[in-house]
Amino acid sequence: MTPNSEIWARLLLALVFGGAVVAFALQAWRLYRLMRLGRPDAERFGVYAQRLRDELVVYLGQRKLLKRGYVVRGLGHALIFWGFLVITYGTADLLLAGTLGLRMPGVDTAAFMWMVDLFALAVLAAVVVALVRRRFFPPPRMIVQLDGYIILGLIGLLMVTLFLFEAAAVGGKLFAAGAPVPPLASLIAPVFAGPSAPAVFAGSWWLHVLTVSFFLAYLPRSKHLHIVTTLPNVFFRTTRPRGALRKIDDIEQQEHFGASSLRDFTWKQHLDGYTCTECGRCSDNCPATSTGKILDPKMIILKVKEQLLHEGDALLAAGDQRGASPTDETITAEELFDCTTCGACVEQCPVTIEHIDKIVDLRRYLVMERGEFPPQAQTALRNLERSGNPWGQAGPSRADWAAGLDVPTLADNPEAEYLYFVGCAASFDGRNQKVARALVRLLRAAKVSFAILGVEETCNGDPARRIGNEYLWQTQAQATIETFGRYRVRKVIASCPHCFNTFKNEYPQLGGTYEVLHASQLVAELIESGRLRLRSDGALKVAYHDPCYLGRHNGVYDAPRAVVTGTPGAELVEIAPHDHERGFCCGAGGGRMWMEERKGERINSRRMEQVLALEAKPDAVASGCPFCLIMLEEAAGTKGVRERLRPLDVLELAAEHLETEKS
Amino acid sequence: MKLLVPLKQVPDSTMRIKVAPDGKSIVTEGITWSISPYDEYAVEMALEQKDADPSTTVSVVTVGPVRAKDALRAALAMGCDDGTFVTSDENAAPLVVARALAKFVEQKQPDLVLCGRQASDDDQGFVGPALATILGWPHVATVTKFAPADGGIEIWREVEGGHEVWKASGPALVTVQKSDKEPRYASLPGIMKAKKKELPELALSSLGVDAAAPKIEVVKMETPPQRGGGKILKAADGDAASVAAELVRLLRDEAKVL
Ligand code: SF4
Ligand code: SF4
Repeated sequence: MTPNSEIWARLLLALVFGGAVVAFALQAWRLYRLMRLGRPDAERFGVYAQRLRDELVVYLGQRKLLKRGYVVRGLGHALIFWGFLVITYGTADLLLAGTLGLRMPGVDTAAFMWMVDLFALAVLAAVVVALVRRRFFPPPRMIVQLDGYIILGLIGLLMVTLFLFEAAAVGGKLFAAGAPVPPLASLIAPVFAGPSAPAVFAGSWWLHVLTVSFFLAYLPRSKHLHIVTTLPNVFFRTTRPRGALRKIDDIEQQEHFGASSLRDFTWKQHLDGYTCTECGRCSDNCPATSTGKILDPKMIILKVKEQLLHEGDALLAAGDQRGASPTDETITAEELFDCTTCGACVEQCPVTIEHIDKIVDLRRYLVMERGEFPPQAQTALRNLERSGNPWGQAGPSRADWAAGLDVPTLADNPEAEYLYFVGCAASFDGRNQKVARALVRLLRAAKVSFAILGVEETCNGDPARRIGNEYLWQTQAQATIETFGRYRVRKVIASCPHCFNTFKNEYPQLGGTYEVLHASQLVAELIESGRLRLRSDGALKVAYHDPCYLGRHNGVYDAPRAVVTGTPGAELVEIAPHDHERGFCCGAGGGRMWMEERKGERINSRRMEQVLALEAKPDAVASGCPFCLIMLEEAAGTKGVRERLRPLDVLELAAEHLETEKS
Repeated sequence: MKLLVPLKQVPDSTMRIKVAPDGKSIVTEGITWSISPYDEYAVEMALEQKDADPSTTVSVVTVGPVRAKDALRAALAMGCDDGTFVTSDENAAPLVVARALAKFVEQKQPDLVLCGRQASDDDQGFVGPALATILGWPHVATVTKFAPADGGIEIWREVEGGHEVWKASGPALVTVQKSDKEPRYASLPGIMKAKKKELPELALSSLGVDAAAPKIEVVKMETPPQRGGGKILKAADGDAASVAAELVRLLRDEAKVL
């Protein structure tokens, strides 16, 4: 239905809306060209079936908005979004009818009119709630800017004018007799019945299409561009396993390393910037941000985007110039090295932005190209290079933890089914040596055929890769792959999630493919199948702390819990709401293990408080990671709660309950 | 300004050293070798001058067996301009090293030579002062900082509770205590460039140095005696008072500190 079908009106509408389309297209073209300053990115193509599925679930289904802890807010957004889709369909019809006199199929049905009206009302309500929330209860870290008000205002205006012209049309009896009419607008239609109805209809109709046009022209300069960019951003999301960082190919031939310039990010990483909605969910869940560090993952994304918008045109004009790296300008090294690579940001971002890649690319630049990064991290890497472990312990003492246990090495027993890769923490850290010994007792009790590498084991390179020295990781990994090859290793058990993750998800990048198990997975299976017989030792409430590289990065949530529940007498306590995918980092990942934590509250202390606040009052807090164990031990020590809340590894829990080890 | 840093390659400080069966040398198998820590500080101190004034050149030189080339490459990776390798046996006598370096310094004519104050393997602290003596150059020991000044070089050295500032007019030699900054982490482009650099090689004979004399010989090497474990007094065998009494007795009779 259009108020004027004369040719001048059609031309005017075409002019207004066409102008908006042109304004949109020009800005979009600029953004596209800026985005293409980034490098090509092969991993964004292929597996199209999965990409389409993601699109349906994440974009249309709003899946990542409806995560635990955000259901109400997420639902509000989903309503606005779905309403937006329906109403956009109606708007397309409006514009077609007003210019070419054509109609979209199905718009004249009662069902569609119900949908439009219901959604419009819901959107209007959601807009009011959002406005009130912004104005009176701004959530922490949300950047309340004019942009937000403009967009909410425009959406509100769209809904109001929609209801107005619908009601005026009904009131003025402009619908053909007997045709379906907008149901909700009809309720207020009597107000508009009368001679002024056609004028009100025309006025609000034109205001509506003007608003639509303005909205379109304004969109590319707003964070609400995400309604467009989310579509490709979800479609081209990485298909790498979550725990795997991107490999630098032919590293010895490169001139630049990491993000030494805006040109070194891939185009998809720039698209990430266009897509950020500034919702702040990443930062809310970031252990660094929430304990008062400088790092704020949202700001990393936004700062790179800002720099692209400011300097990108100059870079486009001067094709050979590289320009500055974001770490030379707005992002400090301290921010970057605050990150534990825990993955909470990536997990929570509703529009599938990949924060860790950006942070690590910037670290790579600082570490490899500039050699400028925190001294303690430098020491860790130097140690790793020189003595094969980040602690700088003497390599030949690597197998000392096994003294008296008579653990075979692969050299003694090349036929062993599993290689137990002990890892540096369990090899050298006194507390974690006990965990390695516990695992040996378990494997022995279940008669599993296994061996270790002994002094031939060296660090697999994981800390180097997280800190940003890809070259060192590749060197260490290649050496490890060679050692594995010498013994024809096929199955690897790791008690450290960081070892587990790099073997499972990253070694294939260098051609090392093995069947990799975290020790808790094997032990859970051994308990389940009855090969491990455990006995009760009295009731024990065990809180389970999810290590990031086991849980979020690899989805291993159940196995370590099964070890707890499979231990007679032990009762599993969740550290709700910070359990499973919302687990709160211990603070040691991403190379933070070797760096001091000076600013703000200590992350492990926060984590311990979450455990102490549990009503269930657990007796122990179990994890499945040597770094978590060190951090939990330390926090329990400083808080003086070790006596009543014992930190331990699930492997120790099981080993202490072995039937063969009657107390 | 032309700077020269003589380096020594030593077993990395994270290594666990074992005496070889001959009782006179260490087991070198499985050892990772590095630049001796004070020498590394000397390199850093020289490079800081280069950062401040890019016209500075920093050269490194080492006298040692073939593996010592890696130490030169490591220094080049940190940012030094050129490295020279003087071939010698595994354990060249310090005086032979100093004589060889003196010849090299005469060829190279640096404004300042920076040595580490001592090598971390034998801790002799001999080569720096010996080199200055042979050259007849002024020598300032345990230096923490230097800077070019009017008509010479200003040199800071740490003394108990403060520091002294010295000034050397002509070419000089300093032995380095520690610089303000930890030795820098070599960048990857630096490592790649260092890999490709030529390392000119010199034989001791071409420098006119007789490797044979004077000869000193290590006749015996021993690891320090193992320290006994601590003693823990348990309250289980008595109350706190008797534990305290026992402690006092042990301190007086066994440790003889009371
Ligand atoms: S990975 Fe973890 S620590 Fe790093 S920015 Fe994301 S949430 Fe913060
Ligand atoms: S990066 Fe994602 S989670 Fe973080 S503010 Fe942007 S859209 Fe929200």
